[in-house]
Amino acid sequence: MIFQRFYRFASPQHFYHLAVLLTPWFAWATIILMIVGLYGGLVFAPADYQQGESFRIIYIHVPSAWMSLFVYVLMAVFGGIGLIWHVKIADVLAKSCAPLGASFTLLALVTGSIWGKPMWGTWWVWDARLTSELILLFLYLGYMALQSAFDDRRVAARASAILALVGMVNIPIIHYSVEWWSTLHQGPTVSKFDAPSIHINMLIPLLIMALAFKTYFASVLLIRARSEILEYECNSNWVRELLTKTD
Amino acid sequence: MHTYWKAFSVIFSRDVTLASRCRAELANPLIFFIVVIALFPFAFGSDTELLRRITAGMIWITALLASTLSLEGIFRSDYDDGSTEQMVLSGYPLTLLVAAKVSAHWCLTGLPLMVIAMLTGIVLSLPTDALQALFLTLLFGTPVLSLIGAIAVALTVGLRSGGMLLSLLILPLYMPVLIFSMVAVENALAGLPIDAELYFLAGMLVLSITLGPIATASSLRIRLS
Amino acid sequence: MLECVRQDVILFQDVNFELQAGELLQIDGVNGSGKSSLLRILAGLMQANAGHIKWRGQEISKCRYEYQREISYIGHLNGVKDALTALENMQAMKALAGSKSDIALSDILIQIELAGMDDVPLNRMSAGQKRRIALTRLLVTKTRIWLLDEPFTSLDSSGKSVIEQLILEHCDRGGIIIFSTHQPIEIEGCSIKHIHLGKK
Repeated sequence: MIFQRFYRFASPQHFYHLAVLLTPWFAWATIILMIVGLYGGLVFAPADYQQGESFRIIYIHVPSAWMSLFVYVLMAVFGGIGLIWHVKIADVLAKSCAPLGASFTLLALVTGSIWGKPMWGTWWVWDARLTSELILLFLYLGYMALQSAFDDRRVAARASAILALVGMVNIPIIHYSVEWWSTLHQGPTVSKFDAPSIHINMLIPLLIMALAFKTYFASVLLIRARSEILEYECNSNWVRELLTKTD
Repeated sequence: MHTYWKAFSVIFSRDVTLASRCRAELANPLIFFIVVIALFPFAFGSDTELLRRITAGMIWITALLASTLSLEGIFRSDYDDGSTEQMVLSGYPLTLLVAAKVSAHWCLTGLPLMVIAMLTGIVLSLPTDALQALFLTLLFGTPVLSLIGAIAVALTVGLRSGGMLLSLLILPLYMPVLIFSMVAVENALAGLPIDAELYFLAGMLVLSITLGPIATASSLRIRLS
Repeated sequence: MLECVRQDVILFQDVNFELQAGELLQIDGVNGSGKSSLLRILAGLMQANAGHIKWRGQEISKCRYEYQREISYIGHLNGVKDALTALENMQAMKALAGSKSDIALSDILIQIELAGMDDVPLNRMSAGQKRRIALTRLLVTKTRIWLLDEPFTSLDSSGKSVIEQLILEHCDRGGIIIFSTHQPIEIEGCSIKHIHLGKK
């Protein structure tokens, strides 16, 4: 019964209206969480005894890195759902995820590089974590390039889904790279079962920022998905009515 | 079971026959390999110490590029003349037929490339430990390159942007293989055991053999629709 | 009620038909009306946007391999390798179809008026000859359903009559043929059903 309630949102029309409804909520949540998180990170959290003030870039760097992995997995899952069960919304969402994921990856790499310069004395080093994150960026770019190489929307969606699923192999490599190889990059700070090795006052703004990035991602994803849906369904009646309505 | 083997061998022998009709094309990847290897000393000057340190890497990267170039044509002629459609409609699992094509391609290209790479390593005086590591990583790695590369080729066959797009898709997928192989060779040079890297490569090989043809077959079906 | 959409354009909607053994269906339509797409959907190469295709009461997506062993599809592309000889191509067709037909391949070549060209590689043949070799698939693999996409392209008048004869014989044997053409075709002795795609 509950499944039935959600199943109707697989229809593009219903999903579109749901997206229109939800976007402002996510947007406001993002703004509030960002303000709280940034205040917490820049003002509230104490300075690190080793790194001083420059560690504060962690509040952008770490959430973007988490998001870059999370969005890829989401993209692959949506692609898989679209491929196996032919759900149009899944294709739309997968396509909309890609530029966001690429931006998060780029942000993670850039902020990491900025952080690295004062810490390690170099803008870039070819260690496992950085290299595999770079590979992830290339995977995103390849995905986006493949999407745009096809004229037919549905063929593009299915081909890109296969690419995303094949690239999933890279995700565990990135995640575990700091454990498998001895690298310059620091080890995992927040893991599921152990107490985190970071001070609680620094941890809370980090988690708030992570949540803020998630709501940001959700709101932008919905906005992108809305315009994709309109393009996908350009032949159907409900889109025509929507576009000709004078508001 | 018997008919599956028959279908496999029909496609395998057909590809080998086709390749033997234009033997010059088979030599291209090998010539490319030698030419590019020869470019390195020009780029780095004849600093023998530096070249000695990068020899193994040079060989692996060049083998990787040669393999990518040769892989590009694996599905193109079938796609252009409609043979792919007939393979899909043959009543045999497309996965099986694709596996036959990729095996034929590896035997015709990957294997000779391995031989040439090993010869180059010997000629360039690579130490025996490194040679051994190089051999093993190529043995496990080149089939993985063929299998994973076939997926990307199947996705992009016949597209306008063809070659460049293919490289953009393939190289990120190849990087883990390259990373593990080079770590293995470095460890061998330093006298450390290379078991871990070899196990990783073997794992990747098994994964690609089992799942690669399935992904490639799906990609071909998608492209035909 | 088949519907097909390519590149955001609806090619056809509400296409509906049923065929029994021995029947012939001709798909008419101008260029771009979706004839090839319809044949590809019937072959199982493409998925329709809406609608079902049933073979002997079962959806073809559920019995894919059995269905594909019953059809021969010859599309725009010939489906033969240029670098191989006529005989090699036919041998590959026969092996891949698992066909146990005992008719000699050279006899098939005689039937389509290419006698003696067994060992000629296809890249030395003309377009019409290549098309004939492509059409030998129908004789090498003895399937019940023939799906032919513009089979008469590149063929001269004698080639055309050979193929028309083959079609007639196949119908008499109880086979089903669905073909597309934008030329008017007359085949004596067989009632042809028609489907017209595109704007009327």
